[in-house]
Amino acid sequence: MRTIKRLLAGAALALGLAQSAAAVDFPTGTVTLVVPYSPSGNTDIFARHLATALQERWGHPVVVENKPGGGSMVGTAYVSQSKPDAHTILMTTSAYATAPAVYKDLPFNPETDMKPVGIFGYIAYILIVNADTGIKTLEEFVEKAKGSDMFAATAGLGTTTHFGMEKFLSDAGLDLEVVHYKGGGDAMVAILSKEADIYDTSVATAGDQIKAGALNALAVMDDKRVTALPDVPTTAEVGYPDVQIRQWLGMFVPSGVSDEVVTFINSEVNEVVSSQAFLDVVAPIDINIETSSVPDVTARLAREMENWKKLAVERGISK
Amino acid sequence: MELLNNLGMGLGVALSATNVFYCFLGALLGTLVGVIPGIGVLTAISMLFPLTFTLGPTTALIMLGGIWYGTTYGGSTASILLNIPGTPANAVTCLDGYPMAQQGRGGVALFMTTVASFFGASVGVILLMLFSPVIAGYALKFGSAEYFSLMLMGLVAASTISEGSAVKGLAMVALGICFGLVGMDTQSASARFTFGSLGLLDGISLIALAMGVFGVAEVIMSIRRVNATAIDRESVSLRAIKPTRDDMRRSWFPMIRGASMGSFFGTLPGTGPSIAAFLSYAVEKRIAKEPERFGKGAIEGIMAPEAANNAADQTAFIPTLSLGVPGSATMALMLGALMIHGIAPGPTLITSQPELFWGLIMSFWVGNVILLILNIPLIGIWVRMLLIPYHILFPAVLLFICIGAYSTTFNALTVWQVFFFGAVGYAMRIFGFPGAPLLLGFVLGPLMEEHFRRAMVLSRGSFATFFERPVSGTIMAITGAILIWGVWTSYKLSKRREVYAQDV
Repeated sequence: MRTIKRLLAGAALALGLAQSAAAVDFPTGTVTLVVPYSPSGNTDIFARHLATALQERWGHPVVVENKPGGGSMVGTAYVSQSKPDAHTILMTTSAYATAPAVYKDLPFNPETDMKPVGIFGYIAYILIVNADTGIKTLEEFVEKAKGSDMFAATAGLGTTTHFGMEKFLSDAGLDLEVVHYKGGGDAMVAILSKEADIYDTSVATAGDQIKAGALNALAVMDDKRVTALPDVPTTAEVGYPDVQIRQWLGMFVPSGVSDEVVTFINSEVNEVVSSQAFLDVVAPIDINIETSSVPDVTARLAREMENWKKLAVERGISK
Repeated sequence: MELLNNLGMGLGVALSATNVFYCFLGALLGTLVGVIPGIGVLTAISMLFPLTFTLGPTTALIMLGGIWYGTTYGGSTASILLNIPGTPANAVTCLDGYPMAQQGRGGVALFMTTVASFFGASVGVILLMLFSPVIAGYALKFGSAEYFSLMLMGLVAASTISEGSAVKGLAMVALGICFGLVGMDTQSASARFTFGSLGLLDGISLIALAMGVFGVAEVIMSIRRVNATAIDRESVSLRAIKPTRDDMRRSWFPMIRGASMGSFFGTLPGTGPSIAAFLSYAVEKRIAKEPERFGKGAIEGIMAPEAANNAADQTAFIPTLSLGVPGSATMALMLGALMIHGIAPGPTLITSQPELFWGLIMSFWVGNVILLILNIPLIGIWVRMLLIPYHILFPAVLLFICIGAYSTTFNALTVWQVFFFGAVGYAMRIFGFPGAPLLLGFVLGPLMEEHFRRAMVLSRGSFATFFERPVSGTIMAITGAILIWGVWTSYKLSKRREVYAQDV
């Protein structure tokens, strides 16, 4: 028993040495991945799988902590005010870029108080309508919707679905009334019951209703088609190249964290998410893996936030 | 015939050793979580959610389901014995359950609520088994206008839910609606009454409000009742659980009405067991021949809500499984357990995953029978809980309430809310303001507002929408009838009193 303990201690020491031999001394203790959503959502599941893999890799505990509320802003604010030693990392979605456009008086500045570590995956969105309408393509929809009194549903103000919808309406020159529901479930019911006419959602949530013939998918709001719905064209293919929205999954740390540590975590997570083992566990939740460098992500985030802010002003979303 | 085959197959799945084990585990855990005030089903399921990564989807759902309906079984225990609801859905059971316990009939109350729970759950499961797709289609007929009308009817019907002054009751409903205003407005994103706190953006926590007003207030009250522990051992014996013939006679119809109301509200996403329990209590009190018995230990007042909340628990699976639409945060967790295994619930689930669907449904039978068997002998143990001196029991209760509140948001602010509502609840008790209408207003108010606002957007500002749509119009007509009837009966009552006064 004692020998085993000693061996373990030796191994732990060796691991520690190996790490300090690397460029940065990270992590030195428990790392917390803060998920600003309730357990069981895509982000939570992604974070939990990632935590397991990183824990194995780093030899330090990596735990997931849920801090739901305020359309992800509660958890985001919490991490922005945490100690900048990168042991508290935010694992969030594109709401990081969209929500600040509608939430006023945030206790942090999303552009300066935090910095991105990377974007590691995304969920593609599709535009859906009730199948009873007989509308099968986006062109048909736009034609019917022009000058009509249709309604567009969102899963809530400031969510990715909201901005995706506004972007589509803006580019297609439609002025449908936008109705906000409390969460994706309610919005889905609204489409099924024909209370609202169009909604943008993830493939995973609408997939079975499409299969059952209750909903029609008009377009994928991305530049790539999705494997689950190979016949559905992308928005770019049908003439709306700018109507692209991805609910991405990204990591952020307080801006006090050194660039070396950020680069280190970025490369570590990139390696984990590209492994076959990780791809296998996230495949069922329809998350597409992507990898990127820190400078690329920083530039992309700045661009996105700029675009959303502009859209929010144009469409009268922000006050 | 096909149904029988499916049921047989489902039973086969549900009765496999692993599934029975996890079903038992879930039911047992659910009961415990239900009995402990404050720690609710959402907490329990969130904590166990990571476990479902390694279990198969069917087994995972069977376990989570067991916790879900087990909680509602256990939830009435603390309501009856301590006047502290185990979960918000059991708050209304306090009104008559606790007086029963004070009359030495706590054992009877516990036994009968177990029976009511089993009955309600059975009705729910039968509906789930036979009519899922039909009911799911029916639920889609409920748009925002219908929801608003329904909530309005609920508010009108239940406004006189508690004993005593009607004015005080109505004042509490209004206060509850005011508390419900806190948070972000869904249509304009403006923050209301949050005082710059991000933690209040999602509104006041239901757990904090219910546990503060009912739980903490009760604990503070008990400090002044010095001899509260003096319970004679006779009233806590197992023999004391036998209901009288009168109890049985009075229980049948409330149980049936409760189960049907519960089944209805369970299928509507966004409503659920709390509303079902409140409204079925209100209905019982309204149609009772002697409404004055309510609030003083009327058995109808525990049978109806307990049948209702259990039925609602079961039928809540209908929109979740057959539309893929979760009706509550807890149901969303259950969907999550399916999603991580790559199963997207929706209309094809029954045909594409028959083993999962039928296995889960049959496991509900297994689970409910387990709960029935489990709960009756447990009554003796729970009742003995009262023998624990209050100076040990109540601090423990406070601790559990805080843990429960904290674990719903992982934010210390929620614990402060518990204490705030504890103080509010205590003040209410002192001045004789009832807690149940406050909770009712708080639960219904935000739903009413949300659906009203949305219905107005959808009708482009026309109030007629609430009367023109057939379902909504019917509900509005019933609401009007209830109002007129209420005014008429109170008029008759005052007339009778006048006559009585003249006689004297």
